[in-house]
Amino acid sequence: MHQYAVETQSLTRVFTPKKREGEPVNALNSVDLKIETGELFGLLGPNGAGKTTLLKILCTLLLPTSGKAFVAGLDVENQYEDIRTKINMVSGGEMSGYGLLTVRENLWMFSQFYGIKSKVAKDKIDRLLETFGMTDKSKAKLRTLSTGQRQKMNVIRGFVTDPEIIFLDEPTLGLDVNASRIIRTFILDWLKDNPDKTVVLTTHYMAEADELCDRIAIIDQGGILACDTPERLKKTVRMNTMLSMDVTLLKNREVFQGLNGVGNVSFVDDSERNQTHVKFVVQDDSCVSDIVSGVLDQGSKIISLQKTEPTLEDVFIKMVGKGFE
Amino acid sequence: MTDGWLVKNLRAIRGRAYPRVIGAGREPSWIFFEIVLPLFTVAAYAYIYKFMDARAELIGYVVLGGAMTAFWLNVLWNMASQFYWEKEIGNLQLYMIAPISRMSVLAGMALGGMFSTTLHAASTLLIGTLLFNITYQLVDPIMLILIFTTTLVALYGMGMMFASMYLLFGREAHHLSNLLTDPVYLVSGFYFPVNSLGTWAAAGASLIPVTLGLDAMRQLFFSDVSGDGFLPLNIELLILAGLSILFLVLAKYSLSYMEYLGKTTGRLTLRWQ
Amino acid sequence: MAIMHDLRTLKNAAWLGWQMEANWTDPFLFATYSIVKPISATLILVFMYMVVTGGQTNSAFFSYMYVGNALYMYVAEVLFGVTWVIHDDREHYMTLKQVYIAPIKFPAYILGRSAIKIAITSAGVFVTLLFGVIVLGVGIDIGAVDWPLFAASMLLGMSCICVLGLALGGVTFLTAKHSIGINEGVAGVFYVLSGVIFPITALPGWAQSISKVLPITYWMDSMRRALMPETMSEMNSLSGLDVTGLGTFDNLFIMAFLALSAAIFFMISLGVFRYADNVARKQGKIDWTTAY
Repeated sequence: MHQYAVETQSLTRVFTPKKREGEPVNALNSVDLKIETGELFGLLGPNGAGKTTLLKILCTLLLPTSGKAFVAGLDVENQYEDIRTKINMVSGGEMSGYGLLTVRENLWMFSQFYGIKSKVAKDKIDRLLETFGMTDKSKAKLRTLSTGQRQKMNVIRGFVTDPEIIFLDEPTLGLDVNASRIIRTFILDWLKDNPDKTVVLTTHYMAEADELCDRIAIIDQGGILACDTPERLKKTVRMNTMLSMDVTLLKNREVFQGLNGVGNVSFVDDSERNQTHVKFVVQDDSCVSDIVSGVLDQGSKIISLQKTEPTLEDVFIKMVGKGFE
Repeated sequence: MTDGWLVKNLRAIRGRAYPRVIGAGREPSWIFFEIVLPLFTVAAYAYIYKFMDARAELIGYVVLGGAMTAFWLNVLWNMASQFYWEKEIGNLQLYMIAPISRMSVLAGMALGGMFSTTLHAASTLLIGTLLFNITYQLVDPIMLILIFTTTLVALYGMGMMFASMYLLFGREAHHLSNLLTDPVYLVSGFYFPVNSLGTWAAAGASLIPVTLGLDAMRQLFFSDVSGDGFLPLNIELLILAGLSILFLVLAKYSLSYMEYLGKTTGRLTLRWQ
Repeated sequence: MAIMHDLRTLKNAAWLGWQMEANWTDPFLFATYSIVKPISATLILVFMYMVVTGGQTNSAFFSYMYVGNALYMYVAEVLFGVTWVIHDDREHYMTLKQVYIAPIKFPAYILGRSAIKIAITSAGVFVTLLFGVIVLGVGIDIGAVDWPLFAASMLLGMSCICVLGLALGGVTFLTAKHSIGINEGVAGVFYVLSGVIFPITALPGWAQSISKVLPITYWMDSMRRALMPETMSEMNSLSGLDVTGLGTFDNLFIMAFLALSAAIFFMISLGVFRYADNVARKQGKIDWTTAY
């Protein structure tokens, strides 16, 4: 039987609050998911969608209310001790560690919970600190680190144990562009060097999911709305392609009217720059060459032509009927 | 060759003990707060005995009891309620997903705590002894070492059990530790011979390891000339050994149960309760 | 309307303090919790006393010790409360920085949180004294209580303890994970030197000199004089000596000295708080965490 890195079957989790503190919350509703070994799999959804709950179940921190979840083929309910030898997790905004220890000491301490030999752990920590540009911070006390440095340390903590499957919960939350880029690049490189490993990542950053993930599950209100590669997901909203074109002031606009499959045409004249900005939608990309020929035939020059690609946000809006915020 | 379960868990114990051993030394203010300041309470009780013209060994009992409070406070605040703080800063979930026995994390905390607290307690004892001119008549140092070690194992075993019972607590952890501080000072006879509580009360209090530990140490340090000892030393040692095993076993089972309960209710990682 | 603003801060901080102190459990458990702790602490002394005297509790000294110990709860709990607010807000809830930068007077916030501590402690003190009077024969006669002296002493004493708490709160800004040590210890200084459970005359001469400048010494004495005037007279007539060390001073002098020393401590505490606050900002300690 084929073994997935992660598999869930009708996974459901209901949080029942204490008396008088509100109604039960369905954090996960019958989630079915299959993640292949070697994948960088993304769970994309807004805050409160159920991403972290799912991750907590997979990391053996929470039990499902019903349904099944398997990590590396092992049941999260009764084989959790075996699962723990194969996983690690990193959360965004994590404050773990002890403020009075140095970065290196904190990383060493956490490595000891995985039974790694001290020397092996320390060598690995030093290599990873170098990769993340943190060597000069290895002797700094944890409490002196910036948010970005702290998160880089958290990421190192997760990877230093060399897990088969790593769960990253919003790993770049609140980080600047540079720190985020370093972490993203590291994740991609790690997976390239270790094709037998798996990364499960939750994020609400669309671009991050698009850039990193082999496949993405869009999750909202505890349910998986769609699960596919970013390209295929985007294709689902690529029924009509939107184009925008800047041309020298266009006199005859009929070229856009008579063509089959061209619609929603709008013109904005910029007399100061002697240009016209045209936006239109085509059902089929082959219409574009006819439009270009028509514009050139009447003596106008094309200054720019842009095809607006659908983003994952468009996919999400299509699925849910609203954006993240 | 991969390392066995025991070696991995020993590494985990060392890992968790490390911050406790190294951490206290990095913050020199502990010398003032954890050695000098507790001496004031010791001094107050010593002076009250002096004011009442009490027999000399009672002042010795106060100094010894005052030194031992460090262990009780350490067990309450740095063992029992520790997982609450760990949960708040996000360490608990990392301990929970690690492929080692949770008992190793607790054992690491206990060993680290024992080490640093023994230093504090020894300093309090030394200064208290010099301040109040206490004379000891130590008769059996080997027995003293045995009693002290067994007391610590039983006491920290109790701390490990509390820690697992507190696992799902929020602020209750703080309040429960706060609540337990003074009643235990009372029933364990930190500042007076425990047998003055009466036999039954003293017998009940003997479930708290420091009660018998302290009683035995007083008998050993002061030759029990006044007949303040509650039980014979050998019996006390035996009971302490039994308590050590009992608390460690209870700690293991309660930890497994509370972990299961936490995973079911989702409170294992719930913060700011 | 700055005063109104500060009062609102005080009120809101007191409300928050009450929520944090009490809403973790049901009212019955909370009431039990509030009583068990002070009674146990008091019983330690009772047993110490009985070990020496063989069980007699009807002496003037027993009442002196018992009442002093009960009143000392205010010192310990309020000082503990203030340092704990800083420690807890900073290291556990991580809200200290938000409160700190809010456009409110931080001391008003701290005092609001302390006010609720005073209210809860009052219940504990009352129950302890009631237990002492009914069960152990502590010499408080409700008809003989000097109420004006009691009210004046209480007001001055509480103000004094609160500002001391503020100074300690400032020190907590600068210290690591030691607030438990702070409350155990600094309150312990007063326990030894302020004639709480034994007269200051039991102390060496140099220590008595320190005792006589501490406001808590005068507060303890004035409170005892208010609650049990006869017992205090009896104490001071024992063997014809000034047993309490303050027996030669009349009530007015004691109150005047309490007011004066409270005023001086107010200035010192405010200075300590401001200094510590400044150093904490310089060293970036307002929002650090030091757990290990």
